[in-house]
Amino acid sequence: MEREGGAGERRAARTVAVTTARRAARPGALWGLVFGATIAASAISYDSAFPTSAARAGLTRLEGNTAFEALFGPIRRMDTVAGYTAYKSGMFVFVLAAIWGLLVATRQLRGEEDAGRWELFVSGHTSRGRAALDATIGLGAGALALWIPTFLLPAAAGASPKVGIGIGASLFFASAIASGALMFMAIGILASQLASTRHDANLLGAAILAVSYLLRMVADSDARLAWTRWLSPIGWFEELRPLTGSRPLAFVPIGVLVIACVAISVRSATRRDLGAGALRTRDRFRPRTFLLSGQAGLTLRLTRPVIAAWIAALVATGLVFGLVVQAAGNALATSPGIQEVIARLGVTNAGAAAYLGFVFVYAAALVAIAVASQVSAIRNEEAAGRLDNLLVRPVARWRWLAVRLAVGAGFVLLASMLVGGAAWVGAVSQHSSLGLGRLLEAGVNVAPPAIFVLGVGAFVFGLWPRAAIGVTYAVIVWSFLVEILAALVNSNHWLLDTSPFLHVTPAPATAPDWTAGAWLAGLGLIAAVGGVLGFVRRDLAGP
Amino acid sequence: METAILTQGLSKTFGDTRALISLDLEVPRGEVIGYLGPNGAGKTTTLRLLLGLIRATEGRAEIFGIDCQEDPVGVHRGVAYVPGEVNLWPSLTGEETLHLLGRIQGSVDRTYRDALIERFGFDPSKKVRSYSKGNRQKLILIAGLMSRADLLLLDEPTSGLDPLMERAFRDCVQEAREHGQTVFLSSHILAEVEAVCDRIAILRAGRLVEIGTLADMRHLSALQVDATVDGVVPDLSHVPGVGAVEVEGNRLRCRVVGSMEPLVAALAGANVRHLVSTEPSLEELFLAYYGEDAAPEGSPDGA
Repeated sequence: MEREGGAGERRAARTVAVTTARRAARPGALWGLVFGATIAASAISYDSAFPTSAARAGLTRLEGNTAFEALFGPIRRMDTVAGYTAYKSGMFVFVLAAIWGLLVATRQLRGEEDAGRWELFVSGHTSRGRAALDATIGLGAGALALWIPTFLLPAAAGASPKVGIGIGASLFFASAIASGALMFMAIGILASQLASTRHDANLLGAAILAVSYLLRMVADSDARLAWTRWLSPIGWFEELRPLTGSRPLAFVPIGVLVIACVAISVRSATRRDLGAGALRTRDRFRPRTFLLSGQAGLTLRLTRPVIAAWIAALVATGLVFGLVVQAAGNALATSPGIQEVIARLGVTNAGAAAYLGFVFVYAAALVAIAVASQVSAIRNEEAAGRLDNLLVRPVARWRWLAVRLAVGAGFVLLASMLVGGAAWVGAVSQHSSLGLGRLLEAGVNVAPPAIFVLGVGAFVFGLWPRAAIGVTYAVIVWSFLVEILAALVNSNHWLLDTSPFLHVTPAPATAPDWTAGAWLAGLGLIAAVGGVLGFVRRDLAGP
Repeated sequence: METAILTQGLSKTFGDTRALISLDLEVPRGEVIGYLGPNGAGKTTTLRLLLGLIRATEGRAEIFGIDCQEDPVGVHRGVAYVPGEVNLWPSLTGEETLHLLGRIQGSVDRTYRDALIERFGFDPSKKVRSYSKGNRQKLILIAGLMSRADLLLLDEPTSGLDPLMERAFRDCVQEAREHGQTVFLSSHILAEVEAVCDRIAILRAGRLVEIGTLADMRHLSALQVDATVDGVVPDLSHVPGVGAVEVEGNRLRCRVVGSMEPLVAALAGANVRHLVSTEPSLEELFLAYYGEDAAPEGSPDGA
């Protein structure tokens, strides 16, 4: 009997671990491909972007530039492929890996518990603590799946004599990036034990990520405060110094954090009630019927937390852009290499406006990702069956979708103007001469690609609902990859045309091209109308 | 009499699966009709077609004369739907959910709503995510009933409710009937259907195989006959209308469809000491339609 019980437990453990691993490994490998390609593209482009030693020397002038270092971390050895690649893609990819790690962990633990499926696991031949540990092992397989392409692609690129990054350095870099996924997976696992819903677990993890980023910004903006870097998981990544003098010592706090989070989580999973969080929550609530008088109000009420979080993130981004604008503009003016890179994006002048024109492309991508989250919300409302509650009452389908899309479009406009406004506030504090009107215009200028993404998302939702979320994010990832490619080399005109981001001019470096913007937004609108027509005619579709 | 629900050749195909095949149904206003069928028979598909949530492959349906596919919003003004599977917004409380759904429906009998909350012993101050399955079911049931809509479409509305709450639900259906509301009750619980419904429709593999009052159905169906004879039970294998014969010594058990006369004639020489015939319960009727051996006998179209 005992032996049979042991075998049953082993089987149960395997089931939890394998199920979780399967769900984490596929997206992990996919993101690893994107990360590996981004890093490899940075490395390959260096030689053509900065062919002369004069151009490379120009880049080294960025080293010690507080504005750039505060934004994306320390700048070292910019006269080498490795140093440039580490700065250009390191922090960006690391933070994306961390966000992915957090989301996948809360989905597989708290999300499964929210949905009631976790109960099926832990009612079998396993304990709650054991199941949490097994799910952690499964998530580890996801991190490994992310690590492999993140290592292989740059290592392959590094073999080229023009790049010359060794296998060891690529290995270390990929490990540093994957440590971001691993740390925030561990934080997500812990947050899943503490919070009683996935939404709250995500908020908790996001708050830790934001504080980590702020701490490292503080550390990088003032040498006297450099010690604060050791308080931040993102600071530990900086201390690893991948590609610029690897220091494995910083893996120690990373390892300690991961082990501590997992150990506390397993203990907490054993002690707390299933379905509840370890943190106390209230049971009863006074009704707040604010906004609950109709479908439009409900949409606002449901999307409010997500929209508020995105707007806070976008305003912070705009503010940072503005704060560093003077210093960055000066650096740009003296760096022919970077000027050449941004010239490929259509920016021909130098200075503060050129810098903003360049970085607002990132703002455009962020706003597009934010609006894609609205497409996910629309589809999830249908897939989870909650939409049925509205559509069996006197609510017309076209109206429901139109209201949701209008809220999405309104959010895009508000967010893009706030990015511009926040950039202006930051710039003014640094005595920049850029006017509010010009920066608001530059903000609105990033809206059309996002409206286009929203329209495409609505179109696919109307005709092919189960693909809506995937296609919407794929459009953004594709556009962003094309964007990176465009900055690197003079690519094929037809290829570049497929990215909506490249159809907007880099305001405020140049005047916004409102005609192109109107075309893009108009195409988005037509696609959205098509989506609404399709939705009215099709069956509601479950998951 | 005004027609509440009318379907003509209503059909729905999902890929290769024919979920509903040419359904012809007419439900007059004020009737309480039970809609029976095993899992996958097409009950929920019928309801989703009536609500316009899915498109008919063929045929049409109307509710109070309004086409379900052409004008779903018009249909919904007079309909309240209670789904079997409850998916609500986890971040709203019960009270907030009732407020929202009432506003969207457009009409709420507030006094009745409060009475329902009381009757079902429902605590509306909690968030939906913390409700048990039964409490979620109560919430969606109250949300549906509180509108006092002319037509109640109920899809297994008591799944997850305890027997006390089931009783409370039957009272609600009774009140709806007294109020002149039409009730379309899809259910697995035969006792519930037997207790509250005027007519019963039975669905099998997407086809309507029987519709009528329970009395009609009993009349058409096989009677269970138990008899004891002195001596040997005669061979009944060729007696018309007699089936499922079981003989144990001098005791006989069989089923009879149609007239009892041939059986009585066959037993005439056997000196019957004791004979009892029983009308089938709804459960037996139901099993007769789905049971492997007896199904074709009781089914009028032989399906």
